[in-house]
Amino acid sequence: MTDTSDPDFILPDDDALAAEYVLGALDLAERASVEARLKTDAGLAALVVAWQNIMSGLNDDYAEAPAPNLMPQIEARLFPVATKPARNWLGWLAGAAVAAAVALVFVLPQTGPPAQLVATLAADPASDIADLIYEARYGEGELTITRLAGAAAPAGQVHQLWIIAPDAAPVSLGLLDGTALTLTYPAPTPGWTLAVSVEPAGGSTTGAPTGPVILAAQIAI
Amino acid sequence: MEQDPIAPLLLQIASQDRVAFRSLYSGASAKLMGVLLRILGNRAEAEDALQEVFTRVWLRANRFDAEKGRGMTWLIAIARNLAIDRLRARHDTVDDEDAMAAVADTTPRAETRLIAQGEARRINDCFSTLEPDRADALRGAYLTGLSYIDLAARHGVPLNTMRTWLRRSLARLKECMET
Repeated sequence: MTDTSDPDFILPDDDALAAEYVLGALDLAERASVEARLKTDAGLAALVVAWQNIMSGLNDDYAEAPAPNLMPQIEARLFPVATKPARNWLGWLAGAAVAAAVALVFVLPQTGPPAQLVATLAADPASDIADLIYEARYGEGELTITRLAGAAAPAGQVHQLWIIAPDAAPVSLGLLDGTALTLTYPAPTPGWTLAVSVEPAGGSTTGAPTGPVILAAQIAI
Repeated sequence: MEQDPIAPLLLQIASQDRVAFRSLYSGASAKLMGVLLRILGNRAEAEDALQEVFTRVWLRANRFDAEKGRGMTWLIAIARNLAIDRLRARHDTVDDEDAMAAVADTTPRAETRLIAQGEARRINDCFSTLEPDRADALRGAYLTGLSYIDLAARHGVPLNTMRTWLRRSLARLKECMET
């Protein structure tokens, strides 16, 4: 019953192997071996995608099942410290009020030498904005965000800077429409998140990010 | 192909859009929970797996290619792969009773709006060209994650016979789907 001397186990035809992998009939060791190959073997990966599409009509047989809201746990896992949803109104208001109180925004020409680096906001190397980098530095009561590489937002759009305290909604720090933005700021708090979203020219009109968040980094000092 | 409401969300998620990520959870978590429950058969494990599925979605969204397939197909592949890996890790063989119970639970359910219905009709037409017990084995493997060992026990045939059956059936299925 469990004879594994079948030559198919040793020299499988890739199309059949891809089908068996997608079907889900392989045992753990065979699955692990396919998954290891998929990391480097584009031909096998294409066969797997083709079989996923062939079998996709069967997906209708999976009935929907109500799922509890597990986003808090998922976000806590992916984005430690920042942007967990507010536990309650008081928590949200407190976080937002603190963030707003410390974010008095002035746009000034950049002056003086760069201060201490507190965050580097770099794009995912695989994305189409791979070369975009903003750097946040802090010194003498001023937080300065400078675009070190990459392009400003396309015409009609603007990059908007946000700060996100734990358990709080994002608070706007201003528009990154030049190469640098300087604002007075008492002290950056480690663990809070700086993020950049793409907004319509003039910035978000809702008080919250409305476009894609393209960059995010935690403040670390 | 029909419009694909999941694909634009995945593209936004690939650019780190957390709002889109929450929208995807709202729109797709029930379907993915259905997949995980069917394969894992246990709500606590399915909920744990659902967290892992969405974690993988966030980390891998930049690999989604709308030219190669539908967003929901991509999501279900992630959920199935995770659930089947966990099922295999839990026990590499299932006893006959479990296998029987799992196979018995393969009656088609109500179709969902998320998948183009034409695809389902086509694969069902192609399944109807296979011998019924082999079509049944294919469905059992795909929908509930039964392994060759489970299927051989369920159908009372040697493992290699089951493998040969299914490989032939898969070849016929592919031929039918491509014509």
